[in-house]
Amino acid sequence: MVFWVELLIAGVVSGLVIGLVALAITLVFGIARFPNAATGDTMTLGAYGALAGHAATGSLLLGGALGALGGAVTGLAAYALVFRRLSGRSTVALLVASIGIGFILRAGLALAFGHTQQVFQAPLVRPWRFEGVRIHPNDLRLAATAAFALAVVFATLYLTPIGRRMRAVADDPALARVCGISPVRVMVALWLLAGAVAGIAGVILGMRTVVAPEIGWDMLLPGFAAAILGGIGSPVGAVVAGLIIGIAQEMATPVVGFTYKIALAFVVMLFVLLVRPRGLFGRVEGVR
Amino acid sequence: MTLTLSSLTRSFGGFRAVDSVSFSVDEGGLVGVIGPNGAGKSTLFSLISGFLAPDSGTVSLFGEDITRLAAHERARRGMVRTFQVPREYAHLTVRENLLAAVPGQSGETLRGLFLRPAAVRAEEQTARARVADAIGFLRLSPVAETPAGRLSGGQKKLLELGRALMTNPKLILLDEPFAGVNPVLVAALSDHIRTLNGRGIGFLIIEHDLPALTRLVSTLHVMDRGRIIASGAPEAVLSAPEVREAYLGGVS
Repeated sequence: MVFWVELLIAGVVSGLVIGLVALAITLVFGIARFPNAATGDTMTLGAYGALAGHAATGSLLLGGALGALGGAVTGLAAYALVFRRLSGRSTVALLVASIGIGFILRAGLALAFGHTQQVFQAPLVRPWRFEGVRIHPNDLRLAATAAFALAVVFATLYLTPIGRRMRAVADDPALARVCGISPVRVMVALWLLAGAVAGIAGVILGMRTVVAPEIGWDMLLPGFAAAILGGIGSPVGAVVAGLIIGIAQEMATPVVGFTYKIALAFVVMLFVLLVRPRGLFGRVEGVR
Repeated sequence: MTLTLSSLTRSFGGFRAVDSVSFSVDEGGLVGVIGPNGAGKSTLFSLISGFLAPDSGTVSLFGEDITRLAAHERARRGMVRTFQVPREYAHLTVRENLLAAVPGQSGETLRGLFLRPAAVRAEEQTARARVADAIGFLRLSPVAETPAGRLSGGQKKLLELGRALMTNPKLILLDEPFAGVNPVLVAALSDHIRTLNGRGIGFLIIEHDLPALTRLVSTLHVMDRGRIIASGAPEAVLSAPEVREAYLGGVS
């Protein structure tokens, strides 16, 4: 029993990371309308940013903030330099461009920091025990960080004027334009937000495991799986699906083994989509 | 003059959908454009609202040439359009649909949101008050918190008008507001338009439904094959022989 509870906790934490990646993907997909393959590498940049920030200041919190900022700046730069110029082109053109941006980020990080895995030099902390269940204070802190990031994103989306406008553009961009909603303002907010979310995902992943140039790229597939499972374009769906996939992966490890836990995420996705093709929280396509 | 069109022309292939159209709308005017299907009304509408660029000719608003301005910049200058088939942000509630259209909020940018929270809050309150007014005026209160995608066709027409109102317009362009609307709602919409016109908002209405429009507008332009073939007071225009020929297919 204790064993399964520990797996469940591990699943929740890795599920939050997947959920954050899926959220960044689904926000961009819903509003800018293309699958952003650079999301994973934006994440990696966030992890390296946190590593550098931690090395410079000695504070994990400041390091993490720098990682989130790095992600936001990367998102905005990718928009300003590339995606904005390609607006109005086909989805495929934007997808290919984002794959290119991902390559550039990954290669740049490998050049700057090398291919060797690095870890955060944080003091080891003895895990807490509740009824025999071990909980790492670190995991708890990272989960709280993820929850806080999610709360900020959802509050922005649902409680503020810019969030309302972002959702408006997601529903009908042409209508938003005629009502005087500036597409550029919405896009700037979108890329800052999505970039920061990816950056934070990278920070959390890096602090839990290791930092290497490929860690973000490896998260792209689970991230997309969660975005699709949740119903593409649905922020709530992305987070819930991320948790489902994270928990399913960890809980399945003792049964199917470490190698196949990734495959299991896709089995879950397949079954859900067979029953519910538009995903858990998918929207019925509007009639134009 | 609120809006002045001079020699607007737009072709598709070899076909001149809009052929040197010129007319203007006075401040607070209530002007209609009618014409048979394919006369170029919708193209004209897109040229005015900025959805299409003309091949030649100009559109000016309050003396400023806006021919090259994007749609959202025209909206910010006080001219806003509605759609023939109502469009709405389907997943936003009626209230959110209207709130999203209120212009000039500090909270429109992330910077404003985090750096000027007090201003954002104050403006949000003003915006909410205006939206509440509009919801009352349009009698949409029962559906205020309903996602707009679930409204009936008639309610969506009202929402279109409400959203246009939120942008503080000087001139509202209505694209076939009475198309597919039941007679009760036609009367209600006409009343709303008259009330708003009484408050100084100009209207340019493109319409197929003759009786409803002729009762409403003070000036009527008739379009046929891309050109304006008659202009003036509704009764006079409709009795002109060339209009009867074009619009009513020669039925006497």
